[in-house]
Amino acid sequence: MKAHTLVIGAGIAGLQAALDLAEQGRQVVLVEKNPSIGGRMISLSKVYPTLDCASCITTPRMASVAHHPLIHTLTYTEVLGVAKNEDGTFRAHLRKKPRYIEEDKCIGCKRCEEVCPVYIRDDFEHQLGAKKAISIPFTNAIPQFPVLEPQSCTWCGACANACPVDCIDFTQESRDLFVEVDAVLLATGFQLTPIDAKAQYGGGKLRNVISSLQGERLLAPHGPYGRVLRPSDGKVPDSIAFVQCAGSRDASLGVPYCSRVCCMYAIKQAMLLSGSLPTADITIYYMDIRAFGKGYEAFYQNAKAMGINFVKAKVGRIREIEDGNLALRIERQEGTAQPEEAQHDLVILSLGLTPQWNPGQLAWEVKTASDGFVATPGAPLDPAATTQDGVFACGTATGPKDIVDSIMEAGNAATEVGKRLEIRAPMVPGGAS
Amino acid sequence: MSGAMDEAKVGVYVCHCGGNISDVVDVKAVAAELGKHPQVAISKEFAFMCSDAGQKLVIEDIKSGKINRVVVAACSPALHELTFRKALQRADLNPYLYEHVNIREQVSWVHKGDHDAATRKATSLTRAGVEKILRQDRLESIHVGAAKRVLIVGGGPAGLKAALDSAARGLKVTLVEKSGRLGGHLHEFDTVYPGGQSASELLGKLLSAVSANPAITVVLGAEVKTWDGFVGNFKAVLSTGDAVNAGAVIMATGYRHTAPSAGEYRFGKDDRVITLPALIEQMKAAPRGPLTRGGRAVRSVAFIHCVGSRQIEGVHAPQEDGKVNDYCSRVCCTAALHTINALKERQSDLAIYDLYRDIRTYGRGHEAIYEQASKNGVLFFRFTEEAQPEIRESSVVVKDVLTWNQEVELPADLVVLVTGVKPGEVAELTAMMKLPTGSDRFLQEAHPKLRPVEVANNGFFLAGACQAPMDLVESAAAAGAAASKVAAVLSKDFITLDPYVARVDAEKCTGCEACLPECAYTGALFMNGSKKAEVNAALCKGCGACVAVCEPRALDLAGWSLDQMEAMVDAMASEVAP
Ligand SMILES: Cc1cc2nc3c(=O)[nH]c(=O)nc-3n(C[C@H](O)[C@H](O)[C@H](O)COP(=O)(O)OP(=O)(O)OC[C@H]3O[C@@H](n4cnc5c(N)ncnc54)[C@H](O)[C@@H]3O)c2cc1C
Ligand SMILES: Cc1cc2nc3c(=O)[nH]c(=O)nc-3n(C[C@H](O)[C@H](O)[C@H](O)COP(=O)(O)OP(=O)(O)OC[C@H]3O[C@@H](n4cnc5c(N)ncnc54)[C@H](O)[C@@H]3O)c2cc1C
Repeated sequence: MKAHTLVIGAGIAGLQAALDLAEQGRQVVLVEKNPSIGGRMISLSKVYPTLDCASCITTPRMASVAHHPLIHTLTYTEVLGVAKNEDGTFRAHLRKKPRYIEEDKCIGCKRCEEVCPVYIRDDFEHQLGAKKAISIPFTNAIPQFPVLEPQSCTWCGACANACPVDCIDFTQESRDLFVEVDAVLLATGFQLTPIDAKAQYGGGKLRNVISSLQGERLLAPHGPYGRVLRPSDGKVPDSIAFVQCAGSRDASLGVPYCSRVCCMYAIKQAMLLSGSLPTADITIYYMDIRAFGKGYEAFYQNAKAMGINFVKAKVGRIREIEDGNLALRIERQEGTAQPEEAQHDLVILSLGLTPQWNPGQLAWEVKTASDGFVATPGAPLDPAATTQDGVFACGTATGPKDIVDSIMEAGNAATEVGKRLEIRAPMVPGGAS
Repeated sequence: MSGAMDEAKVGVYVCHCGGNISDVVDVKAVAAELGKHPQVAISKEFAFMCSDAGQKLVIEDIKSGKINRVVVAACSPALHELTFRKALQRADLNPYLYEHVNIREQVSWVHKGDHDAATRKATSLTRAGVEKILRQDRLESIHVGAAKRVLIVGGGPAGLKAALDSAARGLKVTLVEKSGRLGGHLHEFDTVYPGGQSASELLGKLLSAVSANPAITVVLGAEVKTWDGFVGNFKAVLSTGDAVNAGAVIMATGYRHTAPSAGEYRFGKDDRVITLPALIEQMKAAPRGPLTRGGRAVRSVAFIHCVGSRQIEGVHAPQEDGKVNDYCSRVCCTAALHTINALKERQSDLAIYDLYRDIRTYGRGHEAIYEQASKNGVLFFRFTEEAQPEIRESSVVVKDVLTWNQEVELPADLVVLVTGVKPGEVAELTAMMKLPTGSDRFLQEAHPKLRPVEVANNGFFLAGACQAPMDLVESAAAAGAAASKVAAVLSKDFITLDPYVARVDAEKCTGCEACLPECAYTGALFMNGSKKAEVNAALCKGCGACVAVCEPRALDLAGWSLDQMEAMVDAMASEVAP
């Protein structure tokens, strides 16, 4: 396969960059390792500062990408290697993982999912919900193909019997693909620091200590419980705490930097919680509130006016008391001097952002910086260039940032790729090149 | 028209919006009710109409010949009207045979308390949508040619990068800079955070690339004086007399430093009190050796953050327009700490006190600058907006919340007010170009999440700090993103516009000219040789002002015709009648 550009990662940054390039008449191969495009954004509840529902504003972008004649999307596909050829082009080695269905036959009817008897943990719900061993990853996934998890499947054959188009294929194998391109764009995104990285917070052990992405799912319109309940006993929580910088600005975790989005997403989740649980007490324990973007300070001030408690304090230790409730040892940094204990029945940890993928593992010249994210030696004026000529990066692959900043970088990366293509593959009048 | 109506088969699709609508509106009831309409061939409800699966439903129903007009009752058309028009296009149906009915913002979100009434209203609005689309003609989008030139207003770092990026894509560029030199605020800095590069080196690179590029015409000391035209064909005349014909415009008018208000922190009264930009200028002018003030060595400096930013009504004096600057200026925390570290490097025994509300070193490499300042022995004190620091004879007094509201008196030979930023002087331009600004007076993007460099007005794009405070990395990204959008618009041979413009029925037109004075868009409406009104579709904005005054009903708005409006009103009125 040949194209102008390979975009790796189909989160909002990769989607936007692919669209921008395609709108300029450039052929894009977009590769995504998950079964659906959309990245983190499609799993969020609502997005600050507009409180637009994340599904409502992400799906149109996903659909435009999926339908664009110049974008070839490969989902559930991994990048095994990228090598630079003598002539400056790149050859990428990709591996398409088996979904165990024939994609050209499947009509997305979900009959297989309905009859499957095996329930497994749902990664999309960050382990809060369950799904079937063969299922479409989530309601508005693109493409609408089910994926069979071979580790959990009992090979009972129920799905194959139920499938009206006979597309289940238990023997399907992975398939290798090779793509030749003039430029590569990394939009490989972020992940959260492990929930148990800071043992004193009890993450991973205490059931009512959850991650911020789990918090997003609790609040999402199609979330695991359909409303806000705490995991241990399904009780509606009435005292909820956010612990800020629970994985950032902490050299002991290897994350000395600020994760940039946590203040705002915690404020957002707090506002949404207070909307759905009007009588609940909501407290945010923080170091500094970093509401720096356009409209963000007003968002923060609104949250204060809504009665959300902002407490400048360090949280030392979280332990479980009776009924799954939690006691937080806090050290206020204003007001009183004494350490004190505060009780809450649900705690959301604002975990830090680290890179999702290390491009340094491939045999090429792309390097990461000391923070682990893709190095951008051209910054400040050329923030998309990496240490390898012809390879560019954008979005959270180059450091934590929110959606709007990711989108800006994606547009800029499309320009930088476009500039390279202008030299290597000039457009001929009329569109195609 | 009646012929078209006979064969019209409408498909109605009611969206749950994953609960956003269906938690309030009985979507099944709406779909069932609409299904009774004689010309509605299909009426369904679905979880997410905008999803791929939802769009597929529509496409399949069209392709199988069951329907030839579509109504989707869902969210605001601002979000998804285009999504579905494109779906119609994929099904080979004229994309304008589509009506988007908003039952989320206009129904479920505003009538949470009354499910029955909300369902009735949703039904009524959807029925009106059906009546409207039944009377829709097969409109065709309008194509206009495009000048392959982009006009960039403002020659700071963002404007310069946008110019280089656009030129590299084969476009001609006219770069208009109001001042006598290119470079904007980059001139003011010695080194830049976070990387510590020399500002003059960065600027030098940009400037030599711009001057070496024959596709870029720079006009210095100039402003846009007159403005006309539309996307693809804007016409500007500059104060120098130069005329520019451009297909698209990138605004890169940047920011201005805020000035402390009269007497704020004794600014203007006490010459120990200066602003951060003034300190940066002083340090750049004398890059080595200890800091002096009025000929004497400075031994202690107090920085006070958030001057002119994060202002609170009632606490801070308002700006010229009566409003306070309630936004965060984003760049000042890191700029101040970067400057502090530079000071410490020159003069390690200098006592530095940093008085802040929140330290917002959010960006890549910023936190390390804050860390470094702490390591350098800078002392931090946190104040609240209610209890601002006080400037005394030779000290500053701050009520420090970090030490339980103790009042601390700090010696200060120099007080540096960390002032914020406000948008460049663009009132005249925005009035002339009819560009939107936000309540913070910065230029307003089309969507604060998804479309940060686009403007609602076709053909305009935003680069850099004219849209919001931002640092160089962010300004460069915005500039590149704007250039990307421009390349997309101007890479095609023509620009496509929506057909919702006025049209004239020449038979009915009496040539009375009553419409002419109503038209606000030069050239859009005129009298032709046969004394009939005529519309230039590329210039008409479809505002409908001419339609309202046309007594013989010769003027009408395509896609929003009087017939359609009447039918919609009838549909809704029949609903409430007993
Ligand atoms: C709890 C939480 C709440 C948030 N809320 C908001 C909010 O309200 N508003 C806001 O503006 N921002 C918010 N954010 C930030 C937002 O999620 C990010 O800005 C955005 O998702 C970044 O998009 P991205 O495309 O850079 O990365 P991602 O969304 O991480 O996408 C990266 C994609 O690349 C794929 N990928 C990675 N490696 C490979 C590989 N090797 N091969 C193929 N594919 C690969 C991944 O599977 C993924 O699909 C929030 C973040 C968190 C953690
Ligand atoms: C105190 C301070 C320190 C900073 N330090 C750093 C730093 O160390 N690192 C960093 O990354 N960022 C820093 N910044 C931010 C940086 O200054 C901006 O990111 C950058 O200048 C924005 O570039 P711009 O081109 O958008 O705007 P500007 O630099 O403001 O340039 C705008 C240009 O447009 C021109 N213009 C305005 N109106 C018109 C008009 N009507 N017609 C024609 N021309 C017009 C102006 O004359 C100017 O030349 C700092 C900001 C401040 C306030």
